[in-house]
Amino acid sequence: MVNAVSSLGIVFTVVVGTILFALFSLRRIAMSPQEYIVGGRGFGAVFLWVLLAGEIYTSFTFLGAAGWTYGFGAPAFYIMAYGTVGYIFGYFLLPRIWQIGKERGLLTAPDFFSARYGNKPLATFAALVYAVSILPYVTLQLSGLQIFLTYAGYGHVDAQLGAIISFVAIVLFVFATGLRGTAWASIIKDALVIGALLFVGLAIPIQFFGSPVTMFDQMMRAHPSALVLGSATAPKGTIWYVSTVLLTGIGFFMGPHSVAAAYSAKDASVLRRNAMLLPVYQLIMLLVFFAGFSALLIAPGLTGTAVDQSFLVVVQRFYPSWVLGFVCAAGALCSLIPSTALLLSAASILAKNIAGDLFSIALSDRNRVILTRTLVAALGLGALVLWIALKTTLVSMLLLYYNGITQFAPAFFLGFFWRRTTTAGVATGLIAGITLAVFLASRSIAPFGINPGFIALTLNVTLAITISLLTKTKEPAI
Amino acid sequence: MHARMRFLLAGIPIVALTIAVPFVNRAEPRIFGLPLLLAWIAFWVIVTPAFVWGLGRVDHRW
Repeated sequence: MVNAVSSLGIVFTVVVGTILFALFSLRRIAMSPQEYIVGGRGFGAVFLWVLLAGEIYTSFTFLGAAGWTYGFGAPAFYIMAYGTVGYIFGYFLLPRIWQIGKERGLLTAPDFFSARYGNKPLATFAALVYAVSILPYVTLQLSGLQIFLTYAGYGHVDAQLGAIISFVAIVLFVFATGLRGTAWASIIKDALVIGALLFVGLAIPIQFFGSPVTMFDQMMRAHPSALVLGSATAPKGTIWYVSTVLLTGIGFFMGPHSVAAAYSAKDASVLRRNAMLLPVYQLIMLLVFFAGFSALLIAPGLTGTAVDQSFLVVVQRFYPSWVLGFVCAAGALCSLIPSTALLLSAASILAKNIAGDLFSIALSDRNRVILTRTLVAALGLGALVLWIALKTTLVSMLLLYYNGITQFAPAFFLGFFWRRTTTAGVATGLIAGITLAVFLASRSIAPFGINPGFIALTLNVTLAITISLLTKTKEPAI
Repeated sequence: MHARMRFLLAGIPIVALTIAVPFVNRAEPRIFGLPLLLAWIAFWVIVTPAFVWGLGRVDHRW
């Protein structure tokens, strides 16, 4: 019980400290949509860095990547590769997103569809897909948060209650501060995560095996097949790996919060420099792999969803409570801070693209911010209720997020780099792609081991190009 | 020339991290103690910034 008090005390202090730090760092509270939603388009390299990198270190990757390493081995390596591929595409894509955002005063991801294709139904459809897919993503973060609090409390406290309280605090925080607050809080989050990963990824292998190298010596003897991918068409074999890295790399910046992050840059060069340097950040994933393999050797025998908690088991069993406290605090911030960016983008999409563009509600700057804020609070509460009510079934809705959002990629890439692209082509490809992706994924159909999302993306691109060639372009919008 | 250069600079790391991977799907030899597959991926993650830097030079962005 003493242990639980000290580690939970650290988690509490860190979360409250992060919120206070962000509040004090803000010079002013924003009342214009440009300020509140895209940070006044004034973000320099560091803010962009933490916003764009925020996608990598959510609680899902923190727990899930180590869990995959523990449970599957080498297939987890795709996580380090896809971000790197994503940044190469980002070098070309992000400056274009920023440019059209600046020229047309865009606020949300669906705004791009209005600006490039000038088609209201398409923009509305995009807005709905984005908004619907964000909620399960937020609820997943809540599940992650509960896991960290359960471990920090050594099983003595009601972690669900703790998750609810900290989530409400963070929703109020983003309600008050907008994107700028999220960016400040992300700085603390990333610093703490790097510290925690250095610990679990280096200190644990050094203490138990002498070094990560000797840890791999033991892996070679005990689980040699976990260090390589399966044969070509095997589940999570090499074909799966190639198609998954391509798919997720192409889709890397398709999340609505990533598009908003691109709008928030102060110039295009900040984005290019970030695209160049961010792959280095991916190297930290090596530490996650070390932690997962170490946990497999130290605490074998976990199965099912318990593998996601493998390194927490090791930390809880073998280290003092303050260490566990800091690791769990880093994890808790990984759940909370990305949630704020997601809630903010969902709220701004509903306020701008649905209420504003569709129903002409809240068109003035002042009212638009008020509505966005209200929706941040309402969606936060909605996510909380969904999570408490439906916990497990929501995970399957995530398929829509990962497989659905990536299907927006042809609209962006073709829209920017191919003048012949037409609304009809993009819309047909998008709808066919999302339908096929969700259908294949929900049935777990993966012919030859190919990632189903990749098959859907191929259909999407083929249709988008064919139908664009068959239909007439209006005057190019860009 | 310019277009081919950009294509190569962007394409090489992408190919190395995707379709080249089945050809290095082995644990041995170990490189700096890492299994070959992991070392290969880590190597390309480290050198990708150099390729993107090259892209920026070709594009006269820096």
